Amino acid sequence: MTRFSEALVRANTELDPSIREHLERYQGPFADILKENDRIAREKSLPLCQDTGFVECFCTLGQSVALEEPLQRTLEAAVANTYGAFPFRDSTVAEPLFRRTPLKDNVPPVVHLFQTEGKTLEIRFLVKGGGSENLSRYYALEPSAGVEEVENKVIELVGDNGAMSCPPLHIGIGIGGSSEKAMLNAKLALTYPLGARHRHPDYAQLEERLFRKLNALTIGFQGLGVGPTVLSAHTVYEPTHIAALPLAIAVDCYLNRKGVVRFED
Amino acid sequence: MRIETLKAGETVLYSGPLCIMRDAAQKRLIQEMERTGKIPVDLEGRIVFYAGPAKPPPGYPIGAIGPTTSSRMDKMLEFLYRRGVLATIGKGKRTPLATELCVRYRRVYFVAPSGAAAALLSRIAEASCLAYPDLATEAVYAVEVTDLPLITAIDVTGTDIFSLEDRPMDLTRTPKKG
Repeated sequence: MTRFSEALVRANTELDPSIREHLERYQGPFADILKENDRIAREKSLPLCQDTGFVECFCTLGQSVALEEPLQRTLEAAVANTYGAFPFRDSTVAEPLFRRTPLKDNVPPVVHLFQTEGKTLEIRFLVKGGGSENLSRYYALEPSAGVEEVENKVIELVGDNGAMSCPPLHIGIGIGGSSEKAMLNAKLALTYPLGARHRHPDYAQLEERLFRKLNALTIGFQGLGVGPTVLSAHTVYEPTHIAALPLAIAVDCYLNRKGVVRFED
Repeated sequence: MRIETLKAGETVLYSGPLCIMRDAAQKRLIQEMERTGKIPVDLEGRIVFYAGPAKPPPGYPIGAIGPTTSSRMDKMLEFLYRRGVLATIGKGKRTPLATELCVRYRRVYFVAPSGAAAALLSRIAEASCLAYPDLATEAVYAVEVTDLPLITAIDVTGTDIFSLEDRPMDLTRTPKKG
């Protein structure tokens, strides 16, 4: 799991080059310190953001891969070792409602496991900050709802709340499936590379339109009105029930700290 | 600090003391005040920075640091103002309640750069824990900062840079020493 740990450190300390391009072009408020941050974090292995996240893992396991222990245990140990060794933040509490006692070493990660054919284990992960996570939304739309209603929900959410989640934002949209599957797909969409488009032309066009309309909100870097409002918008769809049109929206901050690690058995 | 004369959109480079606390510490302060009538921190004259630092790297007084979402703490803002807090620093748009309280108590709200924690760490010279060490990153800390870049987001007249009507066109001018 050394490669997973390394990827976790990289996600926390090195800005994705495709995001750096946008930052380099930005000339608005706080531009200098954001650029300085990118440089210092990389040079000194310091976290880009003090909120070093809740680690969310989306694992696809080939059917012939033999694991020595449950994946949850392996990933939890990797997160504990990494967050124990680096000057990151432990941002988890043991129980959410009554005591909220802080946990050490930022465990546990959230682990989702899917099976597929073959002999590869792929781990996609997000280092997910709390501010952007609080913008996650689920809507049970009526099946007769059209694409406009889907677009309006996304635009309304970002327009009303986008400024508080460290824009320019990354938007993940899960459409169809069941309620939890839609949210899972919305999260998965946040792990996709900037600029990638859905292979289905209708969904690719939807992504393009949302990208354009969201950027027309001119929320800008830091919510201060200058520069892009979103850097990416990705959709994932699933078959769904005749009575349903699930829509889940997940939002990530400008840093979009993520990674993909693959292991061949 | 010349709180009353600050205008929304005005940039400030702040040097001086800050009190760091966020959700859990404020909730506990309020509960403690209700239960015992006193709290372990004197908030008079303080500027509160809504933040939870990362763990300190070797040789640093505190870890990487930056503002957290302020609006989550709007319902606890009056408690701070009534105990003499001069200003708060965080990120993002706040609810109308916060604007109303800024006007009523003649206080301001600043935004600090978010997602800039490694750079902000270099602006912090000293740090100590004031209360609730068991809350770890959510404990109450006192820090001394140098040249922390801030933008006045809500001023004492209730002008708010995040409301579209109020958004000033001139956010990009050179910061003044404040």
